[in-house]
Amino acid sequence: MLSIQQLNKTYSNGVHAINNVSLDIPNGLFGLLGPNGAGKSSLMRTIATLQEPDSGRIEFNGLDVLRHKEELRRKLGYLPQDFGVYPKVSAEDLLHHFAVLKGLTQRSERKEAVEGLLRQTNLWEARKRGLGTYSGGMRQRFGIAQALLGSPKLVIVDEPTAGLDPDERNRFLNLLAEIGEQVVVILSTHIVEDVTDLCPRMAMISKGRVLIQGEPQAAIEGLRNRVWRKRIAKAELTDYQSRYTVLSTRLVAGHPQINVFSELPLTDGFVQVEPDLEDVYFLQLRAARGV
Amino acid sequence: MWFEFFKFDLRYQLRQPLLWVVALALGAMAFGAASSDVIQVGGSIGQINRNAPMVIVRFLGVFTVISMFVVTIFIAGPVLRDAELGMSDMIFATPMRKHDYLLGRFLAGLTACLFIFAMVAMGLMIGPYMPWVEPDRVGPFSLQPFLVGFALFVLPNLLFVGTLLMLLAATTRSMLLVYVGIVAFFVLWIVANTLTRDINNEWLAALIDPFGMQAFGRAVRYFSTADANSLLPPIAGFILANRVLWSAIALALTLATLMLFKPQRAGTGRRLFGKSKKAPVSEVAPTVNIRSIQPTPTAVTPWVQCWSILRFDTKAVLKSVPFLVMLLFAIMNFFASVSQSGRTYGTDTYPVARSMLETLTGTFNFMLIIIVTFFAGELIFKERQAKIADVTDAMPIPNWAPLLAKCGALGAVILAFLSVGVLSGIIYQLIRGGAPIEVDVYIKGSLVGALPFVLSGLWALSLQIFTNNKFIGYLLMILFMVAQIVLSTMHFDHNLYTPASLPPLPYSDMNGYGHFWKGWSWFLLYWSLFTGGLMILAQAFWVRGLSQEWKTRVRLAQHRLIGSSGIALILCALGFMGTGVWIFYNTNILNSYRAGDVAMDRTAQYEKLYRQYKGAPHPKITAVNANVDIFPAERRVLIRGHYILQNKTTQPLDRLIMQVNEQVETTWDALPAHEVVVDDADFGFKIIKLNQALAPGDKLDLNFKVNITSRGFTNSGAADSVNLNGTFFNNATYFPRFGYNAGAELQQRTERRKRGLGEPERMAKLEDEPARAHSVMSSEADWVDFETTVSTSADQIAMAPGYLQRTWEENGRRYFHYKMDRPMMNFYAYLSARWEVKKSDWNGIPIEVYYDKKHPYNVDRMIESTKKSLDYYTREFTPYQHRQVRILEFPAYASFAQSFANTIPYSEGIGFIADLRNKDDVDYVFYITAHEMAHQWWGHQVIGAGVQGSTLLMESLSQYAAMMVMEKEYGREKMRRFLRYELDRYLSGRGGEEIAEQPLYRVEAQQYIHYRKGSLVFYRLRDEIGEVPLNRALKRYLQDKGFQEPPFTTSKELLEYIRAEAPADKQDLITDLFEKIVFYDNRVTEATAKQRDDGQWDVTFKLHLSKMEADGKGVESPRVYDEPVELAVFARGPSGKEEDEMVLWTEKRLISKDERVLTVTVKDKPFEVGVDPYNKMIDRVARDNRKPISFE
Repeated sequence: MLSIQQLNKTYSNGVHAINNVSLDIPNGLFGLLGPNGAGKSSLMRTIATLQEPDSGRIEFNGLDVLRHKEELRRKLGYLPQDFGVYPKVSAEDLLHHFAVLKGLTQRSERKEAVEGLLRQTNLWEARKRGLGTYSGGMRQRFGIAQALLGSPKLVIVDEPTAGLDPDERNRFLNLLAEIGEQVVVILSTHIVEDVTDLCPRMAMISKGRVLIQGEPQAAIEGLRNRVWRKRIAKAELTDYQSRYTVLSTRLVAGHPQINVFSELPLTDGFVQVEPDLEDVYFLQLRAARGV
Repeated sequence: MWFEFFKFDLRYQLRQPLLWVVALALGAMAFGAASSDVIQVGGSIGQINRNAPMVIVRFLGVFTVISMFVVTIFIAGPVLRDAELGMSDMIFATPMRKHDYLLGRFLAGLTACLFIFAMVAMGLMIGPYMPWVEPDRVGPFSLQPFLVGFALFVLPNLLFVGTLLMLLAATTRSMLLVYVGIVAFFVLWIVANTLTRDINNEWLAALIDPFGMQAFGRAVRYFSTADANSLLPPIAGFILANRVLWSAIALALTLATLMLFKPQRAGTGRRLFGKSKKAPVSEVAPTVNIRSIQPTPTAVTPWVQCWSILRFDTKAVLKSVPFLVMLLFAIMNFFASVSQSGRTYGTDTYPVARSMLETLTGTFNFMLIIIVTFFAGELIFKERQAKIADVTDAMPIPNWAPLLAKCGALGAVILAFLSVGVLSGIIYQLIRGGAPIEVDVYIKGSLVGALPFVLSGLWALSLQIFTNNKFIGYLLMILFMVAQIVLSTMHFDHNLYTPASLPPLPYSDMNGYGHFWKGWSWFLLYWSLFTGGLMILAQAFWVRGLSQEWKTRVRLAQHRLIGSSGIALILCALGFMGTGVWIFYNTNILNSYRAGDVAMDRTAQYEKLYRQYKGAPHPKITAVNANVDIFPAERRVLIRGHYILQNKTTQPLDRLIMQVNEQVETTWDALPAHEVVVDDADFGFKIIKLNQALAPGDKLDLNFKVNITSRGFTNSGAADSVNLNGTFFNNATYFPRFGYNAGAELQQRTERRKRGLGEPERMAKLEDEPARAHSVMSSEADWVDFETTVSTSADQIAMAPGYLQRTWEENGRRYFHYKMDRPMMNFYAYLSARWEVKKSDWNGIPIEVYYDKKHPYNVDRMIESTKKSLDYYTREFTPYQHRQVRILEFPAYASFAQSFANTIPYSEGIGFIADLRNKDDVDYVFYITAHEMAHQWWGHQVIGAGVQGSTLLMESLSQYAAMMVMEKEYGREKMRRFLRYELDRYLSGRGGEEIAEQPLYRVEAQQYIHYRKGSLVFYRLRDEIGEVPLNRALKRYLQDKGFQEPPFTTSKELLEYIRAEAPADKQDLITDLFEKIVFYDNRVTEATAKQRDDGQWDVTFKLHLSKMEADGKGVESPRVYDEPVELAVFARGPSGKEEDEMVLWTEKRLISKDERVLTVTVKDKPFEVGVDPYNKMIDRVARDNRKPISFE
């Protein structure tokens, strides 16, 4: 159980990256959803002991994280958003190196752990290759392999699926799903499907604030009967946007199709649809923008 | 279109901090080189103006060479950049034309490089106007040399290097291959350098050098000071040919690049090693059940982690391209230089481990300063550059572990680098053979060599950590290096405050590291403690995760320093201060330390106070008897001496002017009743007035005690004369002397001027008759009786001039009683060492060589030379005045041999390790030994007065005598080679003249004149008037002037003897040779031959002959060519080599101005024509005296 209380961080350029964030994250996958620049990475980095908050508390299973960084690091697996590699070093060598840094100093143990993870991430065949030759998906799988070294109790993966093709994304999410229920896994992403597909719990964050947190299903339930859809002509879009709370616009066969939030039933060609997490997300973002 | 690329790229380049760092660094280097002698770029400036046109052009040229690696970054980099950044597809998909692309990029890179050189030029422009530069070394400002330098070197060289790199980058698309290209390029350059050692390869060497520096060097080689200050070499000959050739090559490379560059192929370049493997993609990820393995941290875990990072980082550095390139460059530099180092007259030395290490220090190890600076930045920013820092920083490792690992990695890199150096040394030893591979010497030497770089490396690391910005870190490191240099130019030269500086630690085969390691180790400890503290601070400032503002970092650092690291920091600081105090006590209290300028002030003060006593009439020493006890292990000497002084003047004398070495304790026992007039303990200068004056002819006994102790260690670590093995000092060092010591006066004009002293006076004028009262050797004695008892430890032999009367052991020490049987010069030495002894004899006279057991190589040559010398000198000159000859080896802290009466100390650095296995080489061991033997006549029989020309009598005549012995042994052909080196050294020695060049008969102890020109003059004189008459003159001179009492003889008197033996038509020549500075320019400009009907050959050739006279400053005026010159036509034997040549015709002819085209008839097919073909005349360019014949 990771608990974050009243966490704040303002950068020297005035950006309030973490704004009074309080979150309770139980074991299992936890989705942290937010647009680019919402402060997700700042929050992740703070939890991963790489950055000092201005104020607030973080506790992990009763451990004061900010005071005992070293102890948290022993339980932590972290895959940062912008994650690089040494292009000429092979996956196996680098993983071994990381394993030592994680504290797996005993050779046989380390070998077993590295081999297991390489197989689990399906990199076994490519383990001797330089990481520079890896595709984006392989690199991300390598990233999760290193994050899982030493069986961490807290796994943080920051925007891992950005830029992956659907296949690779699936493969990656499968990996995450395998990690198990006994650890805290925080998945930060700006892709709603990642959360929908995987996470029993989630939070939405924008401009450093938590907009909503809880089970995705509960959030979706909150919108039941209030999301309406209509196909319109391109020229009408601005007009609709001014008159309704347009949640999203997407092109279907070249014509805009809009999702609109409305407490009251809408006619005029609008059809009521089943809400999904995306609708929740966009509604929250709109609300946040309005604030 | 190309302009778009150009604009875009130039903007990109100018925004790169690297460009600015490089430009500022090179600019600072140029500034330093132009304003001081400490930074030397391409050799020292010498005595010419700091902004002499030649100097500026040479600097610019040399900077194009050293900026090679930089050019790679700015010219080859852009071509590869697109591929590296993954931009290439985007760019090559646009409808651009490839030559626009290439041209734009290339010109942008070139402009960036020109920007760097603008900074260099700026540094050169303002450097000479700094306040510390002597104003008389600065000429009027002129823009012309800068323009010429840019047009002649900077632009063509950048073009050439740039196009070469473009070609490599565009075709290989591999930075590694580009670097390999640069290395290959350096090979070319070094080959050119190596070839010029063999003087016959001039054209090839001048052309093969892509930078044109060789050609430039040839063109200005024999410039006099006056030439160099005002002229630039004409753009013709070597220079023009070279520049045209390489510009054409640059053009060809450009064309090749345009043709070979294929934008479509971007990124598909072949891999260098192995095939690129395709990733097998398995469709379904297998589900693997893995056991959960959790780390169990223990106390050793951080150490294992540290070790792992160390290994990982070290491996990465060792495999990285820049490291390999620098290593390769260093290896090549070593192999290119090692065969040259220690070479004398073209003869190599044995590749002993000591000289391998010395060569490594000069040619290989220095690359480490670049390596540690560069890789300190790379290592600290390694994770962040690879964007892996967030991962590693979140790992459970304490802060100190990665820092310690990176320090270790840097150390490991240094050791790996030096190990390759040692391996190169051993390989060279194996190739050459003949010298033992002393692994222990290598190991010690490498560790000693590594430690200063380890310190610098740690400083570089900590600077990187503190600044947390790679480029600022580099910049500060450059400042750190500049500070080390600038501090010492400003005479702040104590190692206590010069960052991370250690005193030198000289190694000698005889004495090992001697006692020097002691001071060195203390300084090492001192700076290690400082560096340790720095590292603890760095650890506190270590950045983990997101980098923070400085304020936060300081707060964090304070927090981190609470506890054990704070205590460690305090301990380091205390240790640092403690060792500092201890060092200060040793260097400044037990020993004396004076900064360079303070020492000069002191010397000036001495001159101002006591010069008034120069030449004051004084009783002279007539007898010396001394008990000298040498304690090598304690480095202590106790002298109990006895002088007899005699009033040789016609006046009663009541004053004694006593000069003692103020560094040691000298006491006089029972001086006669006197009053003290001056007692200046600071200078060791004392004048007493005797109550009872010494009547003419009366004698006075003086007893003294000198206690020489070595306490602690000194700052300079300079070589000492009392050593654990290999003590060597002469009487001038420690024995009390009398009269003002004029030898200590400052010689540099500018330093004198600064201190209000007049013009320097190296020697009294030749016409100064009163000065003839003293010999050049000593003003305090003429000839002395000498007797001494010297003792040393039981394992050593102690040596002094004289014949061994008795030797015995007493109280575990060895005693030797030596006594000279006849008066000798007041010049004697004491030596003590563990020697091997080889004995021989010549007509009953024992010859003994005392040498170190590691150096038996040339002992027999020394004995042979001694015998041959005794043969020649006793036959041609006068009898040998002694009954023994002893040659004694001393440590290589100095490289000379010196002749005392029947006793010749000879440095291990010369001769003892000369490699004479190749019979074609000049046997300079034979020559030096013959020269030192000749001093037993020239110096110990005849001694000149202390006026100009006195070293002609000593050194030039010894050169002549030695050349005759050598010629009898090795023949004329060898002499010609020997003399070519002498000519070269004379001509280049002129360039270093500080005051004025003198004609030979007025030489003021100028080595390039009395040795080098002396050889040339006497060899020619011998040729012109014949050996028999010349030797007759010398014999008569020796008979008349030998063992003479004052007034002493002069060079003028010698010339009278020579003139008396010379025919009338040689008198003018003698004037030119001895009394003037004359140069010749002899050339054969055309030579053709045609076969006649009768089978003979008509050879027609055209001559260029000129003769010039120079003044002391090198300003030349033409002279009428008024002497006959030797002409010859040569044929070559079947081998076609020079050794095989035959003279078809030769004649000495006076050639008038209008008959410079000559035709002669010879019987056989000729090969070449020569004017002064054996280079007997002093001619700046010796090579053009001969020309191969072309046939009609």
